[in-house]
Amino acid sequence: MKLHQKGFLLVTLSKNNRLWDDELIVQTFIEYNISGDYCEKTLRIALDELSAAGLITRVEEKLEANNKQAKLLFRYQLSDFGRARMIDTGLLNG
Amino acid sequence: MAHYTTSEATLAQTLHKHYARNQRWGFMWALWTAILWGAWYVPGTALWFEHPYVDIPVDHQSTRLAATAVMTWIHAITVFFFLLLWNTVLGKVKDYGRTMVRFRKISKWYALASLCGGPMAIFGSYMAMGFIGPVFAAISSLFYPVIGAVIARLWYKEKISKRAAIGMCIIIFGGMVIYGPSLFGEMGASNPNAWLGYVGGIMSAIGWGSEGAVAGRAMDVSDPDVGIHCRFSFEILFWGLLILPVLATFTDLPIKDLIIGTVTHGKAMLWIVLAASCHAYCYTAFYKSFSLIGVGRGEAIGNLYAVFALIFIAAFTLQLPQWYFIVGLVLTVLGSFVMFSESAESVAQLRDNGDINNGDTNSNTAKGLL
Repeated sequence: MKLHQKGFLLVTLSKNNRLWDDELIVQTFIEYNISGDYCEKTLRIALDELSAAGLITRVEEKLEANNKQAKLLFRYQLSDFGRARMIDTGLLNG
Repeated sequence: MAHYTTSEATLAQTLHKHYARNQRWGFMWALWTAILWGAWYVPGTALWFEHPYVDIPVDHQSTRLAATAVMTWIHAITVFFFLLLWNTVLGKVKDYGRTMVRFRKISKWYALASLCGGPMAIFGSYMAMGFIGPVFAAISSLFYPVIGAVIARLWYKEKISKRAAIGMCIIIFGGMVIYGPSLFGEMGASNPNAWLGYVGGIMSAIGWGSEGAVAGRAMDVSDPDVGIHCRFSFEILFWGLLILPVLATFTDLPIKDLIIGTVTHGKAMLWIVLAASCHAYCYTAFYKSFSLIGVGRGEAIGNLYAVFALIFIAAFTLQLPQWYFIVGLVLTVLGSFVMFSESAESVAQLRDNGDINNGDTNSNTAKGLL
């Protein structure tokens, strides 16, 4: 069985040093065969939650012109605490 | 250079807006928790006035406790179906399955949270409603945010700012104003079993306080909507496969009759469905707020449930609360607003990550607490 989506986001980040949220979202879309604005928003909220909880940290941010509205993008990195919590919860081998 | 400065300013402004929006959502979810939780006390108490519960004499302590266990179990099953509907609409049912199966490392925390929240808090609250009354039940667990905040602070280093601490103190003081007079015999003097209600009130405070902190650990790596679904799934299993079968087998309590009596009485089921709908979405909002503003803050704002409970109870029973309830409620609201006025950026990072260097440190702290 596949990992739950938040678990997948964490594992993907753990395999890469730093990733932009757009890259993470694309990889999640491919993994779960999903798409669309709603799924994208759900994943961005999941990243906000992971960041608020201190499991991942925002290392860079930028504004991207997208049609009429500027889109705020974040570059994430797994924190030491996130790595520790992943080991605690079996998402990463210690 | 001027262009660069403008871009930087725009970025900073957008970032501030982003954090403020997250904080607003977190507090909004916590406020929904309070409203729905407050509403829950009306059908929760009305249930005691329907068959088969109204038939149980006041002095039959053990039967009334068994009835509380049965109503809590049926309530949990109904909540499960409301959450199934919620997660189906949100498209998270598959994620629910993926989270449930990881028991050894993730969903076991939801199982533990369900023990704190179900057999302890909800059961305790139904006891308080049944043995004393809804107003007492509503106010008796006002202390739970403090228990949650202290556990969250000790266990996974969640920050409690000075302002949040002041807000919590005001909330606790408000709770004491409401709770104090009852301790000096103004309430429940005519009921010899009132002590069970008091015990229930304490159980609900400890249960809900610890549930938030325990569930928070699993929610670090899983979805809150899915998490609450897991938590109620485990509660159903604890009652249905363990507690109620043990009571039915080893005691002469009428567990089977109470279950049949509840599901065959339309009015009892109507109150349970209403109570469960309030509780399902109150809990969903509760868990969602934890993810965005932290266990301590989520629980403190959720504490406003006492205000809404008293308003709903007064509206349905046409009885106004005592003056000291109003004083306590004003303090509780004030405390919550002190917490709400915290800056958006400080809420954005909830953990003292620098304090935690490795998983061992954290695990050992957790083991120490559990």
